[in-house]
Amino acid sequence: MTAISRRLTGARGSRQGMWLLPLLIVLAIALWLSLQTAQFLNGENLLNLVPQAMPLVITAVGQMFVILLGGLDLSVGSMISFTTAVLALGGPAWALIPAVFVLAALVGFSNGFIITRFNVHPIIATLSMQYILLGITRVLRPVSGGTVPDIVISAVAGSFLGIPMPVFWGIVTLAVAWKLLYGSRFGLHLFAIGGGVSSGVEDAAHNFGIADRRNIVLAYVICACFAALAGIFLAGRIVSGDPNVGLLFELDAITAVAIGGTQLSGAIGSLHGTVIGALVMALLANGMNLTNVSPFIQTTIKGAILLLVVALQSRKKMGL
Amino acid sequence: MAAALANPVMRRLLRVPPAYYVFAVLLAVLWVARPNMLNLNIMGIFVRQIVPLGILVLGQLLVMRVRSIDLSGGGVILLINYTISSGVFPGASMAFFIVLALAIGLAVGFFNGLMVGVRRVSAVIVTLAVGIVLVGFVQYLSSGKPPGDVPGMFADIYNTKLGPVPTPVIFWVAASAALSLFLSRTVFGRFVTSVGENVQAAHFSGVPVARTVVLTHTLAGLFAGIAALVQTASIAVGSVRVGLDLPILAVAATILGGVVFGRGEGGVWGPFFGVLSFALLFVVMTTFGVDEPGKLIAQGLIILLAAIFYGIRSRSN
Repeated sequence: MTAISRRLTGARGSRQGMWLLPLLIVLAIALWLSLQTAQFLNGENLLNLVPQAMPLVITAVGQMFVILLGGLDLSVGSMISFTTAVLALGGPAWALIPAVFVLAALVGFSNGFIITRFNVHPIIATLSMQYILLGITRVLRPVSGGTVPDIVISAVAGSFLGIPMPVFWGIVTLAVAWKLLYGSRFGLHLFAIGGGVSSGVEDAAHNFGIADRRNIVLAYVICACFAALAGIFLAGRIVSGDPNVGLLFELDAITAVAIGGTQLSGAIGSLHGTVIGALVMALLANGMNLTNVSPFIQTTIKGAILLLVVALQSRKKMGL
Repeated sequence: MAAALANPVMRRLLRVPPAYYVFAVLLAVLWVARPNMLNLNIMGIFVRQIVPLGILVLGQLLVMRVRSIDLSGGGVILLINYTISSGVFPGASMAFFIVLALAIGLAVGFFNGLMVGVRRVSAVIVTLAVGIVLVGFVQYLSSGKPPGDVPGMFADIYNTKLGPVPTPVIFWVAASAALSLFLSRTVFGRFVTSVGENVQAAHFSGVPVARTVVLTHTLAGLFAGIAALVQTASIAVGSVRVGLDLPILAVAATILGGVVFGRGEGGVWGPFFGVLSFALLFVVMTTFGVDEPGKLIAQGLIILLAAIFYGIRSRSN
């Protein structure tokens, strides 16, 4: 029995955290939905699930990088809205799409630079960045409108070899994230830096010769770029720029990461766990829509889930 | 840079919270640009509008001094505004509404406190989540439509004046003075300072750390309840959007006023002037025709610059 429960919740000292239990939750929700509503197992609904889940999967994967460091990026929601607004500015796709990533890298760099060089708490730095970006987005596009380049739309709505495009977005995202997290020195250093932060020795990794500032800045750049990718995907789905599309997205992303067994204090977590967490959120949203739950109470339910998940995580530090 | 920071005069000046400088600069700008606006009546009206924020800040500075944060104030204000204006309690007396508002504030604050102080959950996430739970709940109850009117007695009290000064402003100053005395004269005030300076040292010196954090969050909830009453009285109608940007403004004003995360410093009057700075900032931005996106950017920049100011200072020490 103890062996089973340890398997489910992640062994003590495991770097991956618990992810089997969330996977069972995914299956349970899917089973419940298929019994509850006939529409769930409908082919069309299942096909819709992938594009519905994709923005959250992409954003959550990006968010995971900074959470592993013991940081947090609250500016990803604004980053998504900002990206759709930039894409809808009207202009050639070959200029707009690289511009989006350059801007995202710039925002991520500013976040990381302010946090590491000016000693500002990550939450404060990214919270103010959230407001600055939201303001700039509303200047660019006060209400939703404009059109995004055709290539973005077809890259989301089309299909290749009979497989819908969103599947490829997922594969590329996961491949890049897998390489960064498990196939590079950067990924290893990420766990090392987070390990120091979560046990209260902020400069432990630094003392072992890891260039912690550079890696922290890089993590914030990666987080912002993944958010921009999610923004491009969303822009392709809604076919226009929308200053409010990313509203509260950061909370969904954090919830997804936390459900997937990643500790918000840092150093423990896994890519597959994060994807499972995002799937839990997407299935829940899909199920609540199918069973006609009011969108307002959906916000409440998501907030309550976030509360529950973070309350179950224990940590040493108190406060922020 | 380092040499300039080491200069004793510079160090002395850096010790003053930025709120005072910002306030002075904005006052000067207004004095040059619109001298006729600087009279007691007009200023009274502007300051009166900012009183809900000022009261919310009293709670925010308390929790920020114990290295925590409270972003749930928007949800509390919305919920209380809804219960008063929706007519759920027809014909209820003013006292009933006041007790109800304070009870809601205390309950939410106590819950936040338990989560942050006892469960040791990240305060940002807890209070943000509590905020959106409450906002979603109110929007669900009201189906996104604004509820009805607020009983007239609220506006009647809100509109009274004592001489040239509006009553809400006097109330705010009195509450600030009371909190200032409370923090400097009571054992609890000492506990707040010691927890803010070093949690572990406080724990080993016998300070009840968890209880102190729970109590500060409960008090912050109480202040949010009071702020909700003033805000509801000031707009006199129900709304599903009221007060949503207040928590972030409260954080900004508190940081501007010299209360910084990770240090138990800062008093009540720094954040007080932080709030006044925001009152002036809105006047200045309105007179120069800056619209809503510009205000968002300005808020973000102010939080960022104030935090960087303290970050650099802590590094140079």
